[in-house]
Amino acid sequence: MGEAESVYRKEFPVRGGDFAKAGAAACEIKELLKDLGIDAASVRRAAIVAYESEMNVIMYAREARMDLTVSPGKVRLVVDDRGPGIPDIELALTEGYSTATAEMRELGFGAGMGLPNIKRNADVFAIDSEVGRGTRLDITIRTNGHHTS
Amino acid sequence: MSDTPPRNFHAIHITKDKCIGCVHCLSACPTKAIRVEGGKARIIDQLCIDCAECLRVCPHDAIHSHMTSFAALEAFDYKVAIPSTVLYGQFGPTVVPNEILSALRRVGFDEVYDLSSICELNCAATEEYLNEHPSPRPYITSTCPVVVRLIQRRYPTLCGQILPIEPPREIAAKILRTILPKSLGIPAERIGIIHITPCPAKMVSINSPATLAKSYLDGAISIRDIFPQILQALRKSEEDALMRHLFPETLFSGIGMGWPLSGGETRGLKKHRAVAVSGIRDTMRVLDEVEGGLLQDIDVLECTVCPDGCVGGPLGVENRFLAKSRVLELVAAAGEHAVVDQKDVSRLYHKNFLSFDHPVAPAEARPLDGDRVKAIRKAKLRERVFAELPLKDCGVCGAPDCRTLADDIARGYARLEACPFVEAGPRRAAVPANGRAKGGPKAGPKKKAKKEKP
Repeated sequence: MGEAESVYRKEFPVRGGDFAKAGAAACEIKELLKDLGIDAASVRRAAIVAYESEMNVIMYAREARMDLTVSPGKVRLVVDDRGPGIPDIELALTEGYSTATAEMRELGFGAGMGLPNIKRNADVFAIDSEVGRGTRLDITIRTNGHHTS
Repeated sequence: MSDTPPRNFHAIHITKDKCIGCVHCLSACPTKAIRVEGGKARIIDQLCIDCAECLRVCPHDAIHSHMTSFAALEAFDYKVAIPSTVLYGQFGPTVVPNEILSALRRVGFDEVYDLSSICELNCAATEEYLNEHPSPRPYITSTCPVVVRLIQRRYPTLCGQILPIEPPREIAAKILRTILPKSLGIPAERIGIIHITPCPAKMVSINSPATLAKSYLDGAISIRDIFPQILQALRKSEEDALMRHLFPETLFSGIGMGWPLSGGETRGLKKHRAVAVSGIRDTMRVLDEVEGGLLQDIDVLECTVCPDGCVGGPLGVENRFLAKSRVLELVAAAGEHAVVDQKDVSRLYHKNFLSFDHPVAPAEARPLDGDRVKAIRKAKLRERVFAELPLKDCGVCGAPDCRTLADDIARGYARLEACPFVEAGPRRAAVPANGRAKGGPKAGPKKKAKKEKP
């Protein structure tokens, strides 16, 4: 019971292609973390991680659930999408690599910063993807101020 | 000016006698800083950023701004005006800036200086700063004092991205404060340097500067307050005006002249990619994106919370569309040639004459609770309360919307009973229009539904 008291969980559904709401979940997550008293530097990293992963879902996947868990000393975000999956994860994690279409680039998206940027801002980063099914990101940000990039 | 200004000085105030406790200001406030209590609106000091959105919408003239009065200038032996270039757009096409400056002298200022050249100087200094600092990106300009205060409160992680060059009004006042005492033989404290502006927030940046130990300005008079006097002075001196047309004494900068229009601050940048945003809601939307790590391919972001830039300031006289059109004419007339020497700017810049005294500091955070576990408990309570609310955002409870009421309740500032719809429990069941999920794990402070109808 004491454990549950100090843990905060919330789910955010995201729909693929929903550019009108792009960033809405990330913004809500960011405001929540501020309300929970998370330090500014950690909020910034979480905001970037949430924003990038939400945009990835909107650009590539059909739908996803973003699960936020805030517990003492850490913020965890699990983004589980149903979508095309990533054939070559290593390549996708290369700085500057992007599969964004010309149309997406015209809208200012797809500078090839998504996944590498998420990884750079995470303390623990795990990715699991299956082509044709979807991708799952599991990101932890330590909020006690220790971050080595 | 007092030597020790209050830490949280505000320019926007509510006149209780005129306030009838309606909801216009509540919903207009972008930071949800207003509550109606006991039938009167109250501004929450910590949340207010002096954007004046409330002042614009109040139908009862109950919200006003505290600006410097003309009478207060009597305290100074020598009075200097540095009007915002917005002032030039407030008159018809036959009134040129030189006449306006001249009219200000007749109104009672000993000297009047044009700001357009200093705007151009600021732009050149910004270019130099961006050249020397390749990261972070984007930098955000600091001209709009409301943007600075918005970032301090809502986007604290962006404080380090505010470009640390003082805005033109402060640079101009600093230059004058440096040279005038010597050239006039008058002690610095006897010289009053006054900004003339359509912006109430300038009073805030003067009284509680975010980046200076002390502002170089002594006050700000609103265009609205001084306009009748300028008009009178213009009418009395048509012959003088003819001379001014024939023999202009000030060289205006075309680059600086466009400063009060959105995009004007960064229009003169040669080597850097700039994006200009105006209007408070759009500014917040873009700052949210910047906080999420976007726009890193932009060098500098110009944000002004008034629509179309400072020309849309709430204390102007001419409607902003006409003012904008007039300013554009003046920009075209002044041409593109530079009036300031880049080398001079560079020298001032490298002396740190144009820089902030100190970086912008984030405002104190406002978590739901200082204790992490209690904050989590309150966040959960807030969600349960929110699920009880009708989502009508009617403002009858005194909070601007249901979300804010839930937040106030979680923080212990309000009670669920404040919501008229929660009181009317049985009727709510008959109106399923809002489509909220019924049932579920609701352990909130649910009001017992009254069985009998009152």
